[in-house]
Amino acid sequence: MVLRIISDVFVAVGAFFALAGVVGLLRMPDAYTRMQSSTNIVTLGLLGAVIGGLLHAIGVVVEGNPTLGWTQFVKIAIVGFFAILTNPIAAHSICKAAYKHGVRPDKDFACDKYGEDEFDE
Amino acid sequence: MIELLCFAALYVLLALLCLVRVSKGPSVVDRAVAADSVDVLLDVALVLFALYSGRGIYLDIAIVTAIVGFLGMVWVARYLEGRM
Repeated sequence: MVLRIISDVFVAVGAFFALAGVVGLLRMPDAYTRMQSSTNIVTLGLLGAVIGGLLHAIGVVVEGNPTLGWTQFVKIAIVGFFAILTNPIAAHSICKAAYKHGVRPDKDFACDKYGEDEFDE
Repeated sequence: MIELLCFAALYVLLALLCLVRVSKGPSVVDRAVAADSVDVLLDVALVLFALYSGRGIYLDIAIVTAIVGFLGMVWVARYLEGRM
């Protein structure tokens, strides 16, 4: 029962950060800040819910259904591990693609080292 | 158990809110990022619904959704860079 309460707290924290990320995605002024806010959805929103799900699966094991509990545990761990591993790669590549495609912030860059490197070549 | 269903419904609602950004985003990058967020949020909703219903098939779908979403994002990025 205590495990259930802790897992619900983790899921609630994840839902809060996902809500914050979606509000940022809707209200931020330009493309780069929106990307930052969508990264917030994956790292904290998904990770909180996945940790809560892992604790919930352990609770299923404790309550006397080990086959179902361990299956859920391994699959949720795969989902969380894969999302945490791949999302920084996707965010980095889409950010570089946005720069090369010509997307610029609302105010101009304070510091544009990547553009200077492109210009030097 | 019902609280997991409530949280899954909340995540689906947040995914629907992301569709607003998909429809009105000024550049293609905004649309791609918002679509990836929809993918991740539905992923979490599937995990929570699998825990609620106690069936493993939803977790398989969640794994496949995560992999396909990552591949789609990287493909869009490579296309925008002009390397495809």
